[in-house]
Amino acid sequence: MEIIVLMKQVPATESFIEIAQDGRSIKTEDLNWVINPYDELALEEAIRIKETHGGSVTAVTIGQAMAQDAIRTAMAMGVDKGLLIDDPKALGADSLGTAKILAATLGTMEYDLILAGQRAVDDDSYVVGPAVAQYLDIPCITLVTKQTLSDGKIQCERTIDGGTEFVEAALPALLTTQRGLNEPRYTSLPGIMKAKKKKIDTQSLADLGIPSPAGAVSETIAMELPVTKRAGKILEGDTPEAKADLLVKALQDANFI
Amino acid sequence: MSPERDQIDFDVLFVGGGPANLAGAIHLMQLAAEKNLELEVALIEKGKKIGAHALSGAVFNPRALEELMPDYLDKGFPSEKKVRGDRLYYLTKNGYHALPWSPPAMHNEGFHTVSLARLTRWLADIAESLGVSIFPGFAGKEVLFAKDGKTVVGVRTGDKGLDREGKPKKKFEPGIDLMANVTIFGEGPRGSLVGEIDRKLGIFPKDMPQVFETAIKEVIQLPEDNFFSTSEFNDIHTMGYPLGINTPGGGFIYEMDQNRVALGFITGLSYEDPMLDTYDEFMKFKTHPLVAGIIKEGKVVEQGARTIASGGYYSLPELAVDGALFAGGCASIQDLPSLKGIHVSMKSGMLAAEAAIKATGEKDFTRESLDHYTELFKKSWVNGELYKGRNFAQALARKGLSKLIHLGAQTVTQGRGIFDPMAHHGEDHTAMNVLNGTHRAKAVDRITYDGELYVDKLTGVYLSKTLHREDQPCHLVIHDPAVCVTECYEKYGNPCVRFCPGNVYEMEMEAETGKPRLKLNPSNCLHCKTCEIKDPFQNILWTCPEGGDGPNYAVL
Repeated sequence: MEIIVLMKQVPATESFIEIAQDGRSIKTEDLNWVINPYDELALEEAIRIKETHGGSVTAVTIGQAMAQDAIRTAMAMGVDKGLLIDDPKALGADSLGTAKILAATLGTMEYDLILAGQRAVDDDSYVVGPAVAQYLDIPCITLVTKQTLSDGKIQCERTIDGGTEFVEAALPALLTTQRGLNEPRYTSLPGIMKAKKKKIDTQSLADLGIPSPAGAVSETIAMELPVTKRAGKILEGDTPEAKADLLVKALQDANFI
Repeated sequence: MSPERDQIDFDVLFVGGGPANLAGAIHLMQLAAEKNLELEVALIEKGKKIGAHALSGAVFNPRALEELMPDYLDKGFPSEKKVRGDRLYYLTKNGYHALPWSPPAMHNEGFHTVSLARLTRWLADIAESLGVSIFPGFAGKEVLFAKDGKTVVGVRTGDKGLDREGKPKKKFEPGIDLMANVTIFGEGPRGSLVGEIDRKLGIFPKDMPQVFETAIKEVIQLPEDNFFSTSEFNDIHTMGYPLGINTPGGGFIYEMDQNRVALGFITGLSYEDPMLDTYDEFMKFKTHPLVAGIIKEGKVVEQGARTIASGGYYSLPELAVDGALFAGGCASIQDLPSLKGIHVSMKSGMLAAEAAIKATGEKDFTRESLDHYTELFKKSWVNGELYKGRNFAQALARKGLSKLIHLGAQTVTQGRGIFDPMAHHGEDHTAMNVLNGTHRAKAVDRITYDGELYVDKLTGVYLSKTLHREDQPCHLVIHDPAVCVTECYEKYGNPCVRFCPGNVYEMEMEAETGKPRLKLNPSNCLHCKTCEIKDPFQNILWTCPEGGDGPNYAVL
């Protein structure tokens, strides 16, 4: 069973996001970067399938040199091979462009199953996984919470509003993950030691023989942070009357009355 | 040792990814390369990444780094700003005096301000490029001893995936035994494993206690046009308000790159008032008109807290035992008069590395062999610097005029002063007075928390990016919880709720009985260790939570 996991490195959830000078991207310095949590579910599931059915798992990502850390972490979990597509043109692509590049790359590789996070928590676009399946012309089952493999087919469970849906497809197929699919393992220290010795394949689009994507068909024009809630104030008073007095005074101070 | 644990063998194991051990690891690889030695060297760090738990002022004295890497400035050394000039202020509640004279040790012109989180990350990249295997996210949980009960043979890392009761969950990952000929501990002040070794082997001096200070620090983003755009000085220290003349401590403000400022306040843990709140002292400093003026229109980017080992020369432990060496803050190595620890920590790590190389060459890892570190240390400039400040902390802990007389005498006598050695005040936990109704009001009267420049304690915890997996055994061991609600409540009014800068300790009143009850929020813990040090009943033991948990400092 040859399994490919599509993954992305994203800012850690505890990061404080600030909008960059251009108003349409975020400041990236001082951020901690991690594997997109939904992709972690995909990695864990892929490794479990490999552990049961044999085969190998390859993690594929688009990113800069620091994305090697994400691949190393995936390898420490149990992924066998890693491919980093490091090319400014690939980084500048929109979701469909990204999917095209990934589909073209996967087109030259062997696979029985492709796993991807339902979405990356940084751009929340939900597009890449299904679009890759579309471009590869293979079945796509999204938001999977459980899967079983038998006879060249995959049966999946999906949580839908008010119930569970059971979906089956022939391999090769692409799945996207939903919370509850599994609990990703800790990377073990021996696992990290082994991962440090593995080679990561880094390729540009030219190396892969993929034409640069034509200009993005969609474009981010602006980003805005949510309005921050101002801190509330608790008025302390011994009696309801005292509290009411304080409230009146506070409202007067704020020019409300 | 339980046999089911995986075991990995190394030549040298560094425990802790701070400046002492990173400089030590780099130097070890340099020496190994010179001698054509192939060494397996590992470094573990409890933070999620290197620097995640690193906090310091910091004005950086480059002396050790110049020795380690003379071309450090060409190698991307993460300087924030060059120090243009210093100022020392004496603060009164509403006013201030710029002191016309400051001790020579406090002159920093020409040094660089740094973020220790960034500095350690930079050092870690260099160490890794030299072949050190660095494992962030792995906590040393237990020291491994040989059958003789006194030779350190390695460290067991903490289990991951235990539930609250300590039972393995589905994704349980057992800790493993990292075995090494030489284990170098660089855990920082009040290291939990060094504490374990001390309880077993007694490495800290009996007659001179370990004493500490607690620092709370922020990095604040200022507008482009700010105080430092025009000021001739960018290295500011304060004394006086809010602690007054009796309790050691003070504030610092250093300019950083990109219109940021590092601001912190240090409270000596020899303080006596059980009502003192370390966070309130920090806020009083921060809202002082002088300080408020410097940071106006700013926004807090990050906050954190850490203790400083301020015992000094006479509190140094034995630096070597069979199989292990101690470097940096966990060995109380701190240059007190200059208010700096990074450079002396780095140098101590480098000297430990030299001893480890010699021991490896001779295949002798006994204490006698490893004591080469102690010899090198005694001959080094670190020892000289520490010796000059040998009575400094003791004098600072004196009250009123006596403090100034002792400090003055030490300045003119190269540290000897009036008594040498001068006695410490005793262990910090013994210093607290019993509540007697005369304690001062704790309120910070001029503070309005605006959530931007002035943030409350819990927002501060949020700004430290501290995360702990909730469903894990509580890492704070309260030996006798009954003491909290009886003796401690009555005598001291539960000072833990005030000395902890992370709001880990809370006292609640039970609705039915009206009796107090201790509520712990261990997931707020900043890993500063103040609680273990200052608790008057010594009822708290800080153990290491799951590896990778804790603060996630980026720029402190």
